[in-house]
Amino acid sequence: MMIADDAVLFREGVARILADAGFEVVGQAGDGGALVDLVRHDPPDVAVIDLRMPPGHSAEGIEAAAEIRATAPKVGLMLLSQYVEAHHALRLMTEFDGGVGYLLKDRVSDLTAFGVDVRRVARGEVVIDPELVARLVARRRERDPLAELTERERELLGLMARGLSNIALAQEMHLSPKTIEGHVSSIFTKLDLPPDARGHRRVLAVLRFLRQE
Amino acid sequence: MATAQAALDDAPSAARETGVALVGLVVGVLVGYGLWAGFYLDNLHNGLLALTFTAVGLYVVRMRPGHRVGRLFAAVGVLQAGLFFGRQYARHEPRLPAADWLAWVAVWPVPLVIAIAGVAVMAFPNGRMLSRRWRRAAIVMVVLGILLSVASALWPIEDDWDRLVVEHPLQVVGASWAERTLWPVTVFLYLAFQVLWAAAVIARMRQAGAEEVRQLRWFVYAVAIALSLLLVGAVVWQTPLPGLITLSLIPVAAGIAIFKYRLYDIDPVINKSLVVGAMVLMITVGYVVVVVGVGALLPRSDPLLSLVATAVVALLFEPVRRRAQRLADRLVYGHRATPYEALAQLSAQLPQAPEGLLGGIAATVAKAVGATDVVVWLGDEREMVPAATWPDRAGENTATQAVALADLGIGPRTHLRPVVHRGRVLGAITVTKQAGESLSRAERQLLDDLVAQTGLVIDHQAQAAGLEAAARRIVTATDAARRKIERDLHDGVQQRLVTLGLELGGLAEGAAVAGNSDLAARAESARRQLLEATAELREMARGLHPSVLTQDGLEPALANLADRSPIPVRLRVSVAGRQSAEVEATVYFLISEGVTNAARHSGASLVEVVAKRDRDGLRVEVADDGVGGADPVAGSGLQGLSDRLSALGARLEVESPLGGGTRLRTVIPVGSPRPCSEGEAPCG
Repeated sequence: MMIADDAVLFREGVARILADAGFEVVGQAGDGGALVDLVRHDPPDVAVIDLRMPPGHSAEGIEAAAEIRATAPKVGLMLLSQYVEAHHALRLMTEFDGGVGYLLKDRVSDLTAFGVDVRRVARGEVVIDPELVARLVARRRERDPLAELTERERELLGLMARGLSNIALAQEMHLSPKTIEGHVSSIFTKLDLPPDARGHRRVLAVLRFLRQE
Repeated sequence: MATAQAALDDAPSAARETGVALVGLVVGVLVGYGLWAGFYLDNLHNGLLALTFTAVGLYVVRMRPGHRVGRLFAAVGVLQAGLFFGRQYARHEPRLPAADWLAWVAVWPVPLVIAIAGVAVMAFPNGRMLSRRWRRAAIVMVVLGILLSVASALWPIEDDWDRLVVEHPLQVVGASWAERTLWPVTVFLYLAFQVLWAAAVIARMRQAGAEEVRQLRWFVYAVAIALSLLLVGAVVWQTPLPGLITLSLIPVAAGIAIFKYRLYDIDPVINKSLVVGAMVLMITVGYVVVVVGVGALLPRSDPLLSLVATAVVALLFEPVRRRAQRLADRLVYGHRATPYEALAQLSAQLPQAPEGLLGGIAATVAKAVGATDVVVWLGDEREMVPAATWPDRAGENTATQAVALADLGIGPRTHLRPVVHRGRVLGAITVTKQAGESLSRAERQLLDDLVAQTGLVIDHQAQAAGLEAAARRIVTATDAARRKIERDLHDGVQQRLVTLGLELGGLAEGAAVAGNSDLAARAESARRQLLEATAELREMARGLHPSVLTQDGLEPALANLADRSPIPVRLRVSVAGRQSAEVEATVYFLISEGVTNAARHSGASLVEVVAKRDRDGLRVEVADDGVGGADPVAGSGLQGLSDRLSALGARLEVESPLGGGTRLRTVIPVGSPRPCSEGEAPCG
């Protein structure tokens, strides 16, 4: 895997921890351009990218990710940031066909969970930070359609927004995949969402829904 | 400077005053002597015409020496005085010496006088003919008048000779032929002349705007009445006398129009005389009523009554004076404002719309002194640039190169006034008038007053602009400082804490692997606490200056605000492109404050936020459906936001009736959306 971050201390720390967790770190870069060059040379399974990097300290991470996706579509992209913003998440879900993650930098310190998330991204799944999802689920709406959901359904919706597949949901909730499927279709009916959405499209649909007024 | 101005302004000189007085005296003596010589009804109109034409003509000449109407009227008046005097003299019994020659002098110019009077009527009120065709008609009329006068000087054509006791002094051959042939021609041409005047006046009315029609109305009535009486008299009564006498109404009506509508911007003294007269009357009556009236009722006549009377008069003075002034204004000027009202109006404009003020001054000056062109310049003695013009040429591409005060074009028509405030030249005003017109004394006074006001206005504007720029700099600097702190936190402390969390996480992992579960638990606990601390720090940094605003602009930042709001927010944001950093920050903080207040104090169930670009700028509105009654000044952050907005040239409106919700509104003037350029940090 490869890491791009302009903060050297953090980058080195991440590299060491990932190595301890059994990942092989094959390259480090201080900005998006250097990372793209490294990836082109020898594509890794996953690139861990800081969202805010030089030169503009804006959203260079997403630009680099897009460039990598165009040249090496198999590389999983994990974006890290000090803040998680809904509009960035929506952009990642819209512009990337899965295989992306968007997490707070804090998440790296929980090595086990982070390792799981990185592997999911490598498999082409989607990972969205729980803090962002929690904020959106708690968002106040004029006529809140979430009020129609049961407690369990609300919990499931949040997990879906974080990118969990039905199998992952079943493991997380200790329920059978069949039961999960029933709950999911019930939620989609209640919220009037397209029932056939899969993978990152389901995440996008749920995030968009949560952002409604 | 002062001497140059005086020379330029062409003040009513002693020579002119003497000339006017002399002409007036001659006419007065001629008419006075004529009247003393006897009363002849059929010559009365010549006397009346002499007095009225001379009076109005000389008044205009004195105030506006270049004005053609004044000269024409005065010429008609003097000629009429000659006609009147000669005829009175010739009829005197017993016969005076050279009576036949004086009668001759008083008869043959008649056609010429009629023609000149016609020109005066046709040229009223601006001294010019309506068009080139009317001008040609007037020239033909004058030429015919001269030919008729020459003929009349040679032969006794005029029927006036029948009424005069004397004979035509010249015995040129062909007298009977001339009388027979030329008299009908003369009568026909007199009628034709009158038709021409009437047609000219009607044509002028038809071309005039509503304002001018009102000004000309009296004049037209007078012309119409006199001409119809002349016609009816000639056809029905067989005497032109009633028509001839009413002809003197024409100069009177012209005089009324000049006074009432200040046609030549002459500031009549009548106004002040009326007010002073009314006040003298009021004081006298008031005093008499109190002292005599009340004194008769009370059995005591001590100084107390005088005191009471004085007090009553003093109390009544101002309201009565105001009424009298208004009445006098209406009588003298119609509905028009006096120059001093114009001045007062200008002062009233001061606190309003600062950018339009100089244009307002140019327009006021132009109206006050009847200028064709006014330019307000800004700068010092060495460099001046035009800041406002009348008529407004803002849209035109005029050269705006700096000009030194000394080089500002002064000519016979252009007057210059430097604008000096506290001894410093701040600008200048140049006034251009029509050729042949100069500044009257009243106009000069008014211009000086306006220039003094302009000094105040320019100074005031410079101060206001300086204050606004300073406030804007403060806002920009504050925002920059906040952004820098946020950035430093992001790149420094936050980064290090996150790395520390990483280390703690690694430590916990390592301890667990090594089987030291106690250490693992403690490290994990420390990591969690650290994460809570970084979360808190993150929120603090966001409150300081949300990085999403800097990086991605208003729309995502406001959506983010709505995500976090404790009450529902209905967002209507359409702000194409990025605005300047201080505008974006101000809009964000205004909406943030509005939403926070609504959630915290108002018990509202919904906040509606509108932020959109329109013609006037960036329109921002935050409205909740809560209890209202918010005080824009007390406590809340609204005062700070209001200051912020005024630094950007905007005004915060707070509407918060009890029970009616709270509504914050503002429009921030912004230029075209900022283009995103390379190297400039955050750009959407």
